[in-house]
Amino acid sequence: MKITFPYWGNYTIAFKALFKKLGLSIVPPEKTNPRAIENGAKISPEMYCLPLKINIGNYLSAIKRGADTIFMVTSLGGSCRLRYYGAIQEKVLSDAGYDVNFIVFDQTPKDIYKKIKEVSGASFWQIIKAAWFFYEKLRLIEKLEKKANYLRPRERIKGETDKILMQAFLNLDKINTKKELAEFKEGISQKISEIKIDKNKDVPKVGLIGEIFTVSDGAVNFGIEEKLGREGVEVHREMDITYHLKKRVFPWKDWWIQKKINHYLGSTVGGHGRDAIYEMLEYVKKDFDGVIQLLPFGCMPETTVRPILQKIHLKSGIPFLSLSLDEQVAEAGINTRIEAFVDVVKNYYQKKYEKLSGH
Amino acid sequence: MTIGIPKALFYWKEPFSTGAHIGHFWEIFFESLGVEVILSPETNKEIVERGVKVSDPEFCFATKVFLGHILWLEGKVDYIFVPRLKTNEEKLEYCPKFFGLPDLAKILVKTPILTETFDMREGKIETSLEKLGKKLDKNAIKIEKAINNAFLKEKGSKKKQEQDFLKKIKSDKQRIVLISHPYNLYDDYVNVGIKKKLEKLGAEVIFIDEVPVKRQETRARSQKLDYPEFHWEFGKEIMEKIEEILKYTFSGAIEISSFLCGCDAVLKEFVEKAFKGNKIPFLYLIIDENTADAGLQTRLEAFMDTIQ
Repeated sequence: MKITFPYWGNYTIAFKALFKKLGLSIVPPEKTNPRAIENGAKISPEMYCLPLKINIGNYLSAIKRGADTIFMVTSLGGSCRLRYYGAIQEKVLSDAGYDVNFIVFDQTPKDIYKKIKEVSGASFWQIIKAAWFFYEKLRLIEKLEKKANYLRPRERIKGETDKILMQAFLNLDKINTKKELAEFKEGISQKISEIKIDKNKDVPKVGLIGEIFTVSDGAVNFGIEEKLGREGVEVHREMDITYHLKKRVFPWKDWWIQKKINHYLGSTVGGHGRDAIYEMLEYVKKDFDGVIQLLPFGCMPETTVRPILQKIHLKSGIPFLSLSLDEQVAEAGINTRIEAFVDVVKNYYQKKYEKLSGH
Repeated sequence: MTIGIPKALFYWKEPFSTGAHIGHFWEIFFESLGVEVILSPETNKEIVERGVKVSDPEFCFATKVFLGHILWLEGKVDYIFVPRLKTNEEKLEYCPKFFGLPDLAKILVKTPILTETFDMREGKIETSLEKLGKKLDKNAIKIEKAINNAFLKEKGSKKKQEQDFLKKIKSDKQRIVLISHPYNLYDDYVNVGIKKKLEKLGAEVIFIDEVPVKRQETRARSQKLDYPEFHWEFGKEIMEKIEEILKYTFSGAIEISSFLCGCDAVLKEFVEKAFKGNKIPFLYLIIDENTADAGLQTRLEAFMDTIQ
């Protein structure tokens, strides 16, 4: 059995580590690229959302390289189309003549444990250890990404942060033991501390909100965080796997969010629709200089809340940009929109600054 | 006091309304409470244009039409009624867009929105209806009467629908099954008068929601058709009704989707498979504000030609 799974930004490193630790033989997914997206979109239902098409593109290239089994996690509790990813993807591949095995995980620890055990034959402790190793890598990835968002607008040598980060992720991918990981952590924090930055530089801040897959995979969102960072903007993003896991472990977080946004939206609308509103309100409160919403074109939860986000934008004056991504969106178009938006953000920031300093 | 009801989306949904010619659950409920009801008119060009203009471009066409109806009601009534439909009596979810409709209406118009959540995982329909009645300052006895009135009428219409179905399925004409959500099936402007067009081409049109499915039968999920266990009420309902209609003979099936309907992106895969797998001619149509009358006519003619 040769297993493959969807590519998901730098998280792919953590998933690879997890499966390797379980002793599974894997065909790692190729980094998402325009060709993979095109191939995936060609055989996927036209009206389906982009992540499904990207997943299919990932599978196709892995199948070519010998994969015969696909791991896919769906969100059982959610109300959006992600719920049917497993069923639809299986059908799409089988209709296109591919003979592959699908193992679909519900997002419950019990189901994941049961299926992992069945597939890998690993012992309880081995699974726990693998899961812990996975989570440590995942946390580190998220921390590095967050750190980079702080460093980019402040670095003295343009591009230094990304150079170090890229190398770091390549190295992290090769790490297989806890000891190596501990050493790596030390090494990378040393390297990061050596990046020369203007510590006291005050920079405009932008919050990135929206659908979890599109905001957290640079290969899908054309590296929006890097782009904004290079333009001198500090990017903040709440939405990541840890955020999502935390909400599953502590369900009262949703209750809290609902309480905070009740004036705007009286209910969940599936996915992370509520979170987008909550995050935007928080960014307004924290006096940010802009909010960008990223979503797959036609994403049900994110489009439902978009008019509400626009309302918040109009009421508060905070610059707001919503970018819908599909297989036809070209990087050049996105660049133009981001550049124009950065101008608006800088203007907003400048005016605020002038007001503060009494000019 | 007057209450406005938009003749779109939830207006056509079961168990509150079972079709254009019958149903009228909400009107009966509010009128029995002694409230004057103003319905928005049948969808027309102006409603669609206004709805499209104010909508998020990535909303499904049906939601755009809905917002057009809300705009029509603005200023004409004391309240616009938009319920928050979450789950039905089988505890299955409505389309997630329905969860947010009152909020989308609220940010669009100044007329206050009257709403109540219908989540049957949390409580019975009656409880939600009682809460709704209390929001209008009505007493419990009056509310109960209104609820009974509305349900009684609905039951009656259901029976008539079943009888109609049995007549239609025995018709000598080419029997064509139309599959879609009720807000597409019963809104003749939205579906570009597809029923009349097909009838002119000599077809007997059967709407999928007219197909009777007995509740007991629906409990045990048959394995004949291969589809996922839907958490969407319409997903389960439509697939079960397809399973039922496949027991009869008919000439072809046509599915209609609102452009950008996210739910249909899922559903269509299994609807198409069900018919094609049974060698029944199948046509898939996507409708939006740009759907041209002539274009649709040509496609329907071609389809009817292939099945003759």
